[in-house]
Amino acid sequence: MLALQLTITGLQTGALYALTAVGFSLIFGSTRIFHFAHGATFIIAAYLFYYMNVSGYGLIAGIAAATAGAIAFGLLLNRFVYVPIQRDEGSFFTVFVASFGIGIVVQNVVGMIFGRGYVTVSTPLSFSVEIMDGLYVAPIAWISMLCAAVFFGILWCFLKYSQMGKALRALADNPELVRVFGLNPRFIAASAFTIGSILVVPAAIISGATSGLNPAMGHHVMLISLAATIVGGIGSVPGTLLAGLALGLAESLALLYVDSQWTEAVTFAILFLFIIIRPSGLLGRSAAH
Amino acid sequence: MEAYLLNLFILISIYSILGVTLNFIMGYAGIYSLAHAVFFGVGAYAGSFMAMHFNASIFVTLPVAMVAGGLLSLILALPALRVRGEYFVAASLGLQVLAVTIFSEWKGVTGGIGGLIGIPPLDIAGFEIFKPSQFIFVTVAALVIILFIVNRLVHSSFGRSLRAIRDSESAAAAFGKNVPLIKTISVVISSALTAVAGVLYASYLSFINVESFMLDTSVLIMAMVIIGGTGTQAGPIVGAALLLILPSLISYLDFLPQTEIGSIQQIIYGLGMALLMIYRPGGIVGRKKHSETGKE
Repeated sequence: MLALQLTITGLQTGALYALTAVGFSLIFGSTRIFHFAHGATFIIAAYLFYYMNVSGYGLIAGIAAATAGAIAFGLLLNRFVYVPIQRDEGSFFTVFVASFGIGIVVQNVVGMIFGRGYVTVSTPLSFSVEIMDGLYVAPIAWISMLCAAVFFGILWCFLKYSQMGKALRALADNPELVRVFGLNPRFIAASAFTIGSILVVPAAIISGATSGLNPAMGHHVMLISLAATIVGGIGSVPGTLLAGLALGLAESLALLYVDSQWTEAVTFAILFLFIIIRPSGLLGRSAAH
Repeated sequence: MEAYLLNLFILISIYSILGVTLNFIMGYAGIYSLAHAVFFGVGAYAGSFMAMHFNASIFVTLPVAMVAGGLLSLILALPALRVRGEYFVAASLGLQVLAVTIFSEWKGVTGGIGGLIGIPPLDIAGFEIFKPSQFIFVTVAALVIILFIVNRLVHSSFGRSLRAIRDSESAAAAFGKNVPLIKTISVVISSALTAVAGVLYASYLSFINVESFMLDTSVLIMAMVIIGGTGTQAGPIVGAALLLILPSLISYLDFLPQTEIGSIQQIIYGLGMALLMIYRPGGIVGRKKHSETGKE
């Protein structure tokens, strides 16, 4: 029964990990921008929702504000930080350092406004219900899994059938060819940032109700996204999705064998082994070089 | 005031050692490690363990810490041989997170989250160094020696091989360079020298805990190197001095709310990293035009 309980908790965590990780993976896969401030997008969306919630604006307004904030942050960062660096042929590391710096700024600004402690969005949905003998599940667990399924369904259709989706996949394959074909890579990159930032929003809102928020959690979100992207295989959205779920499950099921302070170590041990043994990841196409 | 300045200079020289050793693998071998604080920690814990349980003489603590740091760095060399770029950054991040867990759980050696208290002062051939005014000479001497070693290495044929690997691994291999061996040696040397900083740090403070060896420290060291100038001799030292002096200057500005000083320091440091990468990726000491060291 404990294993089943942990599996459900793991799937809930994994669904949220998968959503944020796919956002990062999409941006990184198509533009090759090491968007470390993706965790900051998460923080901004989560705290905007929290603020709207506390001020009593209701659910819809909260979601709208969180989404608008996430998109605006992603696009502004791309326009004013990444594009100027890339114009100079900046390496991935230059982009990474700039992005990391922005992440620190966001964490501290949010900390100054909302305080450094934990805050939670209170909702009856996060109260656990006993659905079977000894098995407690909060309704929000089902909501997270449903949310992930819906978002991935839409994303899959978008990437497969829409013009922009095809352009995104093309950019991941060969940016030069996209340019030759007459498409504007900068516009496609901006779309990648828009979609990637939107994917963070559901996870950010749900985390506010389940685990609570803290300005420093952007780091953790980002590390998990990075781990899922690499374990899943860079450039592979289904791979990242699987890896996100798997990392959530592993983190939760590890509790059967080790104490809770080791769960993060389990995630990163998996990441480390993958990089050494199979750098191309679960569903990645080419090896890392 | 004098004690305050002495303390600041001792910390600057210890962090300069960390910067110089990270710059050795980052600037010259192209190995972008986010796990540098791990070896700082390994040195500190290994040195303290020896000093507390066996002998506080630096002829015991330093070699043990260096060997421990050097051997453990083989774990970092492993991914460095397999992958480059973002994959290696991710691997080193993984190592950093793992190490923090081990540092805070291995209570027998590291004292757990509470850390180690009462680490004996440095013992150089019978002289116990516990006054900061004496300690500063030790740290500056260590910095000078390490600078000298790194400088000699960089300007030897080994250093030229390193730079060749950084610029193009396949070209270096085609010229008959043993790429895996050269990379491994550079990581081992860098980590062993980093462990020296750990020993100095632990015996200076006589107290250490895991907080000094977390990801934040790795990022701080990396920022020192990058802001100062990757792949330059003076860069890491300029970066270390700047990043340690600035916060203390800011705390003198009394119109700022005292409770937010920490946040304001962090914001300035984060903004500095981003702006520098946009306008001057080569760092303060580095060349103005896009630096040659930034490339993958």
